[in-house]
Amino acid sequence: MALRRSTRSVDGSIPVPALLYNDEELLASQDGVGIYDGSQKSTYHQNGGIHVTTHRLFYIDAQNELRYSFALDLSSITQTDYYAGLFTSSSKVTLHLSASESDTANGDNNGNNDGSSLSPFDTWECQVCAYRNAPGLSPAASRICGLCGVPRASIPQSSNSSNARASERPPPSTHHLSTSLPPTPPRPRSPPYASSPQFGSQGAASDDTSNSIACPACTFLNHPSLRTCEICSTELPKIRPTARSRLDMRSAPTSRPTSPVDDDESNITSWFIKISFRKGGDKAFYAVLKRSLKAKAWAISSGGAKPNSMTDSSATMTRESLARSGISGIMRTVEDNAQQRQTGISDALQDLEALMVKAKDMVRLAAELNEKLTNASKPRPSDALSVMSGFDSGASNASTYTLVGSTTTGTTIAMEPEEATFIRSSLSQLGLQMVNVPLTQDMVRDERKWIEELAVELANVLQGTTSTVGGLMKERPVIALDEVWGGWNRARGVALIPPSTFLQVLPYLPSHTAPSINTRTFPSGLTVLHTPAYRSHVFSERVCRSLRESGAGKSTMEVAFEEGMTVGLIGEMLGEVEREGGIVRDDGNMAIVGGGSGVGTGTALVSEELRWWVNVFVECVWDGYVHPMDEDI
Amino acid sequence: MTTLSTHTTPSGYLLPSIHSAPPFFTQQPNPITQAVVCEQWTKLILSYARFKKLFVLRVEDAETLGGDWDEILRNERINRKLSAPHLSSIISTMVTKNLAAYEPPKQTRSVLLYWRQPEEWAEVLHKWVSTTGQLNTILTFLDITEPPIESPLTNLPTSLLKKAIAILAKTNRAQLFGIADGEGVRFFASK
Repeated sequence: MALRRSTRSVDGSIPVPALLYNDEELLASQDGVGIYDGSQKSTYHQNGGIHVTTHRLFYIDAQNELRYSFALDLSSITQTDYYAGLFTSSSKVTLHLSASESDTANGDNNGNNDGSSLSPFDTWECQVCAYRNAPGLSPAASRICGLCGVPRASIPQSSNSSNARASERPPPSTHHLSTSLPPTPPRPRSPPYASSPQFGSQGAASDDTSNSIACPACTFLNHPSLRTCEICSTELPKIRPTARSRLDMRSAPTSRPTSPVDDDESNITSWFIKISFRKGGDKAFYAVLKRSLKAKAWAISSGGAKPNSMTDSSATMTRESLARSGISGIMRTVEDNAQQRQTGISDALQDLEALMVKAKDMVRLAAELNEKLTNASKPRPSDALSVMSGFDSGASNASTYTLVGSTTTGTTIAMEPEEATFIRSSLSQLGLQMVNVPLTQDMVRDERKWIEELAVELANVLQGTTSTVGGLMKERPVIALDEVWGGWNRARGVALIPPSTFLQVLPYLPSHTAPSINTRTFPSGLTVLHTPAYRSHVFSERVCRSLRESGAGKSTMEVAFEEGMTVGLIGEMLGEVEREGGIVRDDGNMAIVGGGSGVGTGTALVSEELRWWVNVFVECVWDGYVHPMDEDI
Repeated sequence: MTTLSTHTTPSGYLLPSIHSAPPFFTQQPNPITQAVVCEQWTKLILSYARFKKLFVLRVEDAETLGGDWDEILRNERINRKLSAPHLSSIISTMVTKNLAAYEPPKQTRSVLLYWRQPEEWAEVLHKWVSTTGQLNTILTFLDITEPPIESPLTNLPTSLLKKAIAILAKTNRAQLFGIADGEGVRFFASK
């Protein structure tokens, strides 16, 4: 009974930090606890986690977190006991709960706690300074304006009639039973209201007092349907018979009948629940709980003990704005807000980093899963292995073979049971398809081996694997390094390869590719990967032959067109051939009349065009005029 | 057009086949290739100069139309001409190889071509003097460079003539001295 009466159900599927108020702070957590309601085990709360915050105690059930999780306000705890446990009996913490209604009222019924649980999630405007208070503060803190420190419901008119602030819901009046102000309606059974001068209202039911309108002139409580005061004919403030106010009207009576019953019982029994620590951690948890109880963070607004929490910036803010009001207070608040936002952002960034760490784990998990599936379904290495090994140049050794084998097994597509197929498809939907799973450094211990594995992966990206058709270099025999790097990292998706590592991998590439892919650096600094057909001597021979056949020289553009490569790249390669002396240039600027080389091509060429010729000077012999010997002598 | 061929100019000079290759007129960035190009040009220039008895080559010759050098510095058939900077670099190479000398000195725009070295000219001069029976007679420069009967020395630049005489003087085959209207020279038979 104590459990049901003092606690409030929460949605345990939400992580605890998200359940907290803005000014609340999670202090400690402990798994593997059970709850005793009174001296008996509570049936549904036998396995879960307990979390203590500055304001509340959360129990999140491990089996049915949605249904059996609950929160308990620390303010309702009057006393705690600690039992260290004996033999098979686990250590326990007993929480004695106060039976006084003022404390438990806000949580006395799970179904009807909207008055208190909703209020933290409303914004409200302070009537004194018109500051719009943000939602999410604990009930206690939200009762006070964050800027000027005036209690939310301290204006008499507003507490007399909720309708004065038509758009606002009534202040959570249940919190104010102790204040000296006349309380607002929710206690229809209380004698003062029963005898209040309601006879004037035409046959109104007692419940309707909650909506009666106080006359601004004579304070007479008029029936809500009246426009002017019944006594003095003063115009009454407008009310809106909104759905919400009706809800209030309806919700009021349903909540009431239960509480008197509880009240009766509370007088005769003592209320306590016990937390049984089945997996230890009790001592530390109890210490934290004691400290939190001592701090009384929830009581801050009533000017009591200050919380010892230093990071609780909202509470600090409230406290300080209480101390200093006016413009300095407002400016202070603005500053605090900015600071708070900053810490929020840095927290968010930290979360992001944490997420990256998680992603790595996930990828590894997927990799393991996939490997197991593959091994289970068909352990034979794919044909790719033999093909690749066959092409492997002489440098390949035994380790290379096994290396290639281990990576290509991941690509086998074999007959698999339905479950395996399902898991695979789930993985691929998550973007964790094993064929594409990038290798990360922590997967491979040895650095050299890591680089070699990366080279194999890069080879697959460039030449395509047996299962995935095509690769970066399928259509293009020469490809610039930056493009390769970008493409590879795009293929990896996560755990990107830094350029330094990429450069380290390149020397290993030729031994893992068939036909081998080599690196070539041009004097301009441009580095490319190329197939054997574009080795420098092969290319220069080809170009020279082509130029010799043409006889008239070719522009860079024409060569690029023939080779199917970009002009810039061909320009670099031709430059290299020129440096080797294979070809020579014919500068269009040397023309007598602008209009290109008139050798007879017949095409109009741009005057500045550069044309390439095969080196005509190498076998050049003098075949011009020969002077007769001793001509002059 | 696919094969390069020789060509005879209107003046009867046979141009080498390389002269019809467009790249021949471009300064090649590759130093080895450019060395070959330069060597071919030097050969062509000296050969043509000897053919036409030209002694002076100026950088401006590459830019002006209608000069003595048009037949080799330009090739109308392939629409190519030697650029002034290229010619300038060829000239400087020739000077380095002692195949030409800047004339006048201390500038680089014009050179005296040594299609015969000064020593060779000295021999030619001495031979001409002795064959024409003018040994031991005093001759002016004008008598040598503008003889009544055309000789190999006709139009020889004075500076080159002086160099040749100086070489002969070293071996006591010539003597240079001042006369009333300039300088005179007397040649002696070789011992």
